[in-house]
Amino acid sequence: MNLLGQAWAILHKDLLAEWRTKERLSPMAFFVLLVLLVFNFSFELGGAAIHEIGPGVLWSSFVFASLLGLQRTFADEYENGCLDSLLAAPSERSGLYLGKMLGNLVFLLAVELISLPFFGLFFNLTPGLYLAPLLLVFFLGSASLAGVGTLFAAISCNMRLRELLLPLLLVPMILPALIACIDATQLVLQRRPPVDLIPQLQILVVYVIVFVTLSIILFEFILEE
Amino acid sequence: MLCSLTPVLYRAFGNLLFSVVKPRGFDSPVLFVAMVAALVAVFIYAPTEREMGIVQRIYYFHVPSAISAAIAFFIVFASSILYLWRREDRFDALANSAAEVGVLFSAIVLITGPIWAKPIWGVFWRWEPRLTTMLILFTMYVAYLMLRTYGSRTEHSQRFAAVFGILSFVNVPLVHYSVKLWAPEQQLHPIEVMLDPRMAQVRGISYLAVFLLLRFLLQRRFVLEQMDRAIFQLRRQLEGSN
Repeated sequence: MNLLGQAWAILHKDLLAEWRTKERLSPMAFFVLLVLLVFNFSFELGGAAIHEIGPGVLWSSFVFASLLGLQRTFADEYENGCLDSLLAAPSERSGLYLGKMLGNLVFLLAVELISLPFFGLFFNLTPGLYLAPLLLVFFLGSASLAGVGTLFAAISCNMRLRELLLPLLLVPMILPALIACIDATQLVLQRRPPVDLIPQLQILVVYVIVFVTLSIILFEFILEE
Repeated sequence: MLCSLTPVLYRAFGNLLFSVVKPRGFDSPVLFVAMVAALVAVFIYAPTEREMGIVQRIYYFHVPSAISAAIAFFIVFASSILYLWRREDRFDALANSAAEVGVLFSAIVLITGPIWAKPIWGVFWRWEPRLTTMLILFTMYVAYLMLRTYGSRTEHSQRFAAVFGILSFVNVPLVHYSVKLWAPEQQLHPIEVMLDPRMAQVRGISYLAVFLLLRFLLQRRFVLEQMDRAIFQLRRQLEGSN
């Protein structure tokens, strides 16, 4: 099996397991809702606040939710002792990384799309076509989070303080992508033409390419025996 | 061709890295003389800057500390790559030492910066590109140290740290670029103009002193790290034999 075939096998397995258990999506989406609720008490989300803090609130809740989901990336395999079998399989480590990373990307995107209507509702956001570029921002932002997050999940699941370590590692590393996402979201909410987003999207694309490539290379060293 | 070159390259680069931390007998006296000379130069010899006044003198320690932090983080990056490649314990020890010294120097930058900023900008802190970048770098390498502290002393943890050390350094230009885009009109650092030749001389002396301090700290930290590892090995052998 080639690399993409291996990645697809892992992705298919994870999506199927998720479809049957819904162990990750529901808690993540519910958590986003809770974070939005908490923010509401400190900022009064409806009204003019949307342009000031809306993008920050949205992305903070996504990052928090992603931490919940990423935590589980290798948890099932680790707890059930599956990881050794996966590693013993005649496949490449990078296939495992790519499959897990795509899985995380799908989960994150799903959570973001589920919670967007709630965000719009709480913030009194006018729906419209001008929001369309947000999809691209969501995609690239989730790819950044999933790209680095999957690697760090593999690191932290091997450590003693695993729940504690992942956010510490992930948040500083993700900051450039996060800044670009918040910036771009702000521009979209201000109804600026999509051309204005290009510098932010450039950073995101570079971030995703650089970190996914590096993660594919470095993943071998993480799961080495 | 490339394969025959790699051992040569590896040896040359490895030696270059370790020449930085090689202990030499005259280390402490040289550093002492340089530090005293720098203090005298900065506080007595250097003329007071006309617009900023006395607080400008912080510059002579602030800027070389920032460069030292960058050098230390580069050493983390280089020795992390060499560790993953050659699996020699000393590269890992060097990476850990350099990360700690780098965090120290970035803390110096983050402390001296606000002291200078209060009279000049009117506030201790502005979310200004270079300041923000330095803070993010600081958090990244503190996370690196936490990864090391909370990990067990296994080959596993050393590999994880090496991976994180490589990613952190690659992240630096991305952080810088994104922060600049986020606050483009906020660049508030003064542009360096040296009017008085004495200022340039003082800068030379203080840079030299700070770089010597960097080398000294790195070297001492590296020796300590190796002792620590030796003790750990001995203890494990002792526990094994009982």
